[in-house]
Amino acid sequence: MRHITNFIKTIGHPFSSLIIMLGECTRLFWYLLTGCLYSLKRPQLIIKEVYFSGVLSLLIIAVSGWFVGMVLGLQGYNTLQRFGSVSVLGSLVALSLLRELGPVLCAILFASRAGSGMTAEIGLMKATEQLDAMSVMAVDPIKRVVIPKFISGIIAVPLLTALFDTCGILGGHFVGVNMLKLDQGTFWSQMQGSVDLHNDVINGLIKALFFGFIVSLISVYQGLQAKPTAEGVSAATTRTVVHSALAVLALDFILTAFMF
Amino acid sequence: MQQNVVELENLNFSYSEDRLLLKNINLNIAKGKITAIMGGSGSGKTTILRLISGQIKPNQGKVKVFENDLSKISIKQIHDIRKRLGLLFQFGALFTDINVTQNVAFPLLEHTNLSKKLINKIVAMKLEAVGLTGTQNLMPNQLSGGMARRVALARAIALDPELMLYDEPFTGLDPISLNTTAMLIKKLSTSLNQTAILVTHDIAVTMGIADYMYFMANGEIIAEGTPQQIKETSNPAVRQFINGEITGPFQYKYATKNSYQQYLEQ
Ligand SMILES: Nc1ncnc2c1ncn2[C@@H]1O[C@H](COP(=O)(O)OP(=O)(O)OP(=O)(O)O)[C@@H](O)[C@H]1O
Ligand SMILES: [Mg+2]
Repeated sequence: MRHITNFIKTIGHPFSSLIIMLGECTRLFWYLLTGCLYSLKRPQLIIKEVYFSGVLSLLIIAVSGWFVGMVLGLQGYNTLQRFGSVSVLGSLVALSLLRELGPVLCAILFASRAGSGMTAEIGLMKATEQLDAMSVMAVDPIKRVVIPKFISGIIAVPLLTALFDTCGILGGHFVGVNMLKLDQGTFWSQMQGSVDLHNDVINGLIKALFFGFIVSLISVYQGLQAKPTAEGVSAATTRTVVHSALAVLALDFILTAFMF
Repeated sequence: MQQNVVELENLNFSYSEDRLLLKNINLNIAKGKITAIMGGSGSGKTTILRLISGQIKPNQGKVKVFENDLSKISIKQIHDIRKRLGLLFQFGALFTDINVTQNVAFPLLEHTNLSKKLINKIVAMKLEAVGLTGTQNLMPNQLSGGMARRVALARAIALDPELMLYDEPFTGLDPISLNTTAMLIKKLSTSLNQTAILVTHDIAVTMGIADYMYFMANGEIIAEGTPQQIKETSNPAVRQFINGEITGPFQYKYATKNSYQQYLEQ
């Protein structure tokens, strides 16, 4: 009997905790929405957070984008050469970046660079009673601390994605034109011909907006529910990165199915 | 009739189901007076302050602050009450990402429309009151434990609240800062007619400044009275606490299952 109940517990626990987590996330989301007005009235709080999560991520995003673009250039060149169509390398690099790789990789990088930081900061503030202190001073810590971070993520990810895309295309250009000696004119004109502003560029940025939203929500949620201990905060930070990556990839599938 | 700022009525509280932490607490805090709550480590003093500031709710009984029953009012009203009280956290709870000035100025910036110049002046005054002039630009991680605690005190009194809750303001202070702090608490109480709840272990200082005292042990109030009455009490547990004797009726124990029961269960 005991084995059976244990067995059911083992299977049931992950499911029930997943459902509880989704429920808590939704409730947190509503709370964040209702508190947004307060934070929008104090833009300097949001600007500060955008600086921490966005501006300080510029370098890693730019460098990663550049390398991803170069790899796309090399791989694309090898494959296209077999079909004798290296001239479309420009479109290949641009489309894969704008539609898929840019938003997805950028969101995952953002989660590990800035999202984990948000989780750790909120978790530590909770562990050291700073959030309690704030609420005893009649300041709602969610509005004062959490919402600015949340909004900053939503602002930063699309902008960082645009940067990632740009650097990636330049990286692809560097490999294709400067290293592999493709014709520069063909590279750009093929790209220009095949990339559509609405279908590719805007849709990619809309994806990034959704990703920014989900990554920020996960980050602040994990921070708020972290156990107020050193292990608790470190576990929550790890969960932020793992859950964000999973959520971004799953959401990417859904969005792609609807958009393209 | 004497007015009470805080009243706890028949209050029970527990963090977990198997252990009742506070049992049938009745406690009145008179307006304009300093009331001390003393008791061993883990007897639930910090918990009482958390109940009064509305951070946690009692399982049974009433918490009345400024004549409002905390369980019957909205979050917004609780916030209005919190604007009138200051709480010095046992571990300071300074905001670690901003400097001393910004910490002390935090409640002023959030709740008043004072000019920057005036706020800086108030911050300087409060820091002087706790004996920390010139530390304005330090970050919390550059402060010693005792300094951090006094900065937290400055922040708690920044708005001159009507009700101050001090959670062990004296621990970790050198004798001079300890006296400064004690004098400050007394002065705030007499000059501003501020009501104060003072949780502390320091018998000597407390006897000097408190108007009324409560003694707690194992989740219950075992004695109360003016310092004079406490000094003359015959209650053996209180006498033991005052004299710091190791053996006696007062025992430091974590009220849980007996150790032999734990062995049996293993
Ligand atoms: N968040 C919590 N969850 C569960 N138990 C807690 C929690 N906080 C405190 N306790 C328990 O409640 C008891 C009373 O804690 P409290 O902090 O009120 O004691 P205290 O009287 O302030 O002690 P000290 O003088 O050491 O500060 C302790 O035994 C502690 O184990
Ligand atoms: Mg305590």
